[in-house]
Amino acid sequence: MAADVETLATVEALAGEKYAHGFVTDIEQEFSEKGLNPDVIRFISAKKAEPDWLLAWRLEAYARWLALDEPDWAKISYPPIDYQALYYYAAPKEKVGPKSLDEVDPDLLETYKKLGIPLKEQEILAGVEGASRYAVDAVFDSVSVVTTFKAELAKAGVIFCPLSEAVREHPDLVRAYLGTVVPTSDNYFACLNSAVFSEGSFVYVPPGVRCPMELSTYFRINASSTGQFERTLIIADKGAYVSYLEGCTAPMRDENQLHAAVVELVALEDAEIKYSTVQNWYPGDAEGRGGIYNFVTKRADCRGDRSKVSWTQVETGSAITWKYPSCILRGADSVGEFYSIAITNNRQQADTGTKMIHLGPGSRSRIIAKGISAGRSTSTYRGLVSVHPKAKGARNFTQCDSLLIGKDCAAHTVPYVEARNGSAKLEHEATTTRLSEDQLFYAMQRGLSQEEAVQLLVNGFVKDVLQELPMEFAVEAQKLVAVSLEGSVG
Amino acid sequence: MLAEALRSGDRTKLPGRRHEGWRWTDLFGALTTVPPLNPERQALGSWSVPIALDGVVVRRFAAPIQGGVEHVTLEVPAGDHRVVLDLIEAGQGRYVRDLAFDFTLGVGASLERLVMIADDADAVSVATTHVQMQARCDFAQTVLASGARRQRVETHVDHPGGAGRVRLDGAYLLAGARHADQTTVVRHLGRDGESRQLVRGVVAGAARGVFQGRIEVLQGADGTDARLAHNGLILSDRAEIDSKPELEIYADDVACAHGNTIGALDEDALFYAMSRGLPEAEARRLLITAFVGEVAERIRHPGLRDQALIFLAAQAEAFDGEGR
Repeated sequence: MAADVETLATVEALAGEKYAHGFVTDIEQEFSEKGLNPDVIRFISAKKAEPDWLLAWRLEAYARWLALDEPDWAKISYPPIDYQALYYYAAPKEKVGPKSLDEVDPDLLETYKKLGIPLKEQEILAGVEGASRYAVDAVFDSVSVVTTFKAELAKAGVIFCPLSEAVREHPDLVRAYLGTVVPTSDNYFACLNSAVFSEGSFVYVPPGVRCPMELSTYFRINASSTGQFERTLIIADKGAYVSYLEGCTAPMRDENQLHAAVVELVALEDAEIKYSTVQNWYPGDAEGRGGIYNFVTKRADCRGDRSKVSWTQVETGSAITWKYPSCILRGADSVGEFYSIAITNNRQQADTGTKMIHLGPGSRSRIIAKGISAGRSTSTYRGLVSVHPKAKGARNFTQCDSLLIGKDCAAHTVPYVEARNGSAKLEHEATTTRLSEDQLFYAMQRGLSQEEAVQLLVNGFVKDVLQELPMEFAVEAQKLVAVSLEGSVG
Repeated sequence: MLAEALRSGDRTKLPGRRHEGWRWTDLFGALTTVPPLNPERQALGSWSVPIALDGVVVRRFAAPIQGGVEHVTLEVPAGDHRVVLDLIEAGQGRYVRDLAFDFTLGVGASLERLVMIADDADAVSVATTHVQMQARCDFAQTVLASGARRQRVETHVDHPGGAGRVRLDGAYLLAGARHADQTTVVRHLGRDGESRQLVRGVVAGAARGVFQGRIEVLQGADGTDARLAHNGLILSDRAEIDSKPELEIYADDVACAHGNTIGALDEDALFYAMSRGLPEAEARRLLITAFVGEVAERIRHPGLRDQALIFLAAQAEAFDGEGR
């Protein structure tokens, strides 16, 4: 996500392609056997040196997965996925959990440098005085390469580490929370993830602590024929606050690659979690060849009273996006927020939205979703706002706007609303329009080129969401929006 | 789907939760057996509507005794103008009925239709209308529903665009354990079509209101201007409103919008009305009638509009004592 402008410009100039992160790192890797069976799951579990309960948990999920059907209700179409033709585990050789940065394979460091992700703390520190810092967990295929600023975070009591390390170091915490928000049987892809998940980040913020810096995880798919199945678990204890950001990229390939992640957030009393995503998986080429299939289950449990979870997502990549970050508003006066920008171009398909389940009295939610379709793409907002009888005085506001650029794209809005008490107040509005000719004309007669004018208008259209992102990422996201839409007009 | 189940007696053909479009109107779950088809009809109810209304074709549909399937067609010739009042009348008991209407409008034809549907609280009743329009047609419809054990009024309009106009309105006032579903699908097939929808509903007791409205704009249907609004009031903590307004757009030069609100009766407005000397029950009735009355006000034919207002007022009357 934090690919800086220069990297972006350089790679683009060299490759003549719009996707800046499409290179492959040539590195020796270790794979599980191809396909999925209980032995592969045992192999993954053994690789991670997991306790028996976790292996049993995985195998149970696998058994459930076998009994489930792939969901087909979303407005996306793709050829059947051959789940036996994938590698479920891929890792750079001998580099499982390096102790210090010096032990990390230089090729890997080079990869992240190329992506613009600062992994060396001193490099980050060497930046401009007062520049904001953020800690990074870098996940490469199935393993975490390095996690920065761990020591400094530990001083504040914050645990930030790869999930596999958390299983070893903090088993009680993991066991108490893993699968409590997204149970193994939740849905087809979550179930698959529970069986084969290989890496992800674990965050625990103790009571009353405000996490001293932004946390972020950077996911990179590198190996071919490989699926990535990360699992992230974030717990904000009473009165804690954490802001977390994830970014993702993958090489350009002709094949489709599967990414099925699960993210679980738990917010206890008065806690707040801000979760931002800048998703820039390889979207496939203009003809729809290649690209990532992104089937993700993200859910937050606002368990405590007055807890708050805010999802912000900028979805520009992936051939297919199937993703509905949700909030279960269990606590009294808990708050859920969802801000989304979904941009599709060429032949991309996105079916994304949110679910706000109001269970606690006085719970409030706010949904702002902006979809932009260009080329031959399809973008769907699908959401649910559900108010249960006990959620007295619940409040929701939803706004979904779609912008169409071109004659061959499509935009859909499918909001479900279920209100089951007499004191809730729910509002929903949706619009679908194209870029206004008048506004384009105005911008162009002021001297902007057509592409610049479109960028300006699109940035205005998505501004409500961009301003929810942490500042340095908002700038990157804004550039990403422009890059994604390149070639969509004229 | 209901007609098929009634004809074959096969319960598994009943629509239910497995079907996306019927998730909130589960007929499979509501009927443990499919009643046999029986051509006999119950006696017409004593509806307080005059049989002859100036310039209006009044059609009355009696309830079946057990299971009933009926298919009605109407053709409006090119350039002609029709006003139709369809009274779907209540019978008694656990009857199951499926009414299908097919309307064809010739070039430049116009049709204004008011549907008032009454059913026994134990009945299962589905009325589906398909409308085929030509260029420059004008189709306007208002559906007033009072619910049943399961009741659904579904309307599909294929809009060819051109200078044609479509208005699909509805209102539901539900008390007790009644359920009513209003579902609409408007497909814009050609350029420069316009459609407007306003659906308002009030639920009290343990009633359940369902609204599903889909606007489809097909490729090439540029210049489409489609709007839809659904507003619901919930008067009791046991009542429920489920709604799904959908936009499915395949053309870029369009202006499509939907709005959906669900809330309680405005306490400030209630206070204001009471401070002017109205007893609480009357103040509530006034606010409810005004809320759903806006739907009736959009009816062009004055005689039809009056009938709609009378129907809604009678429904609001039945709310007394409910909704606390």
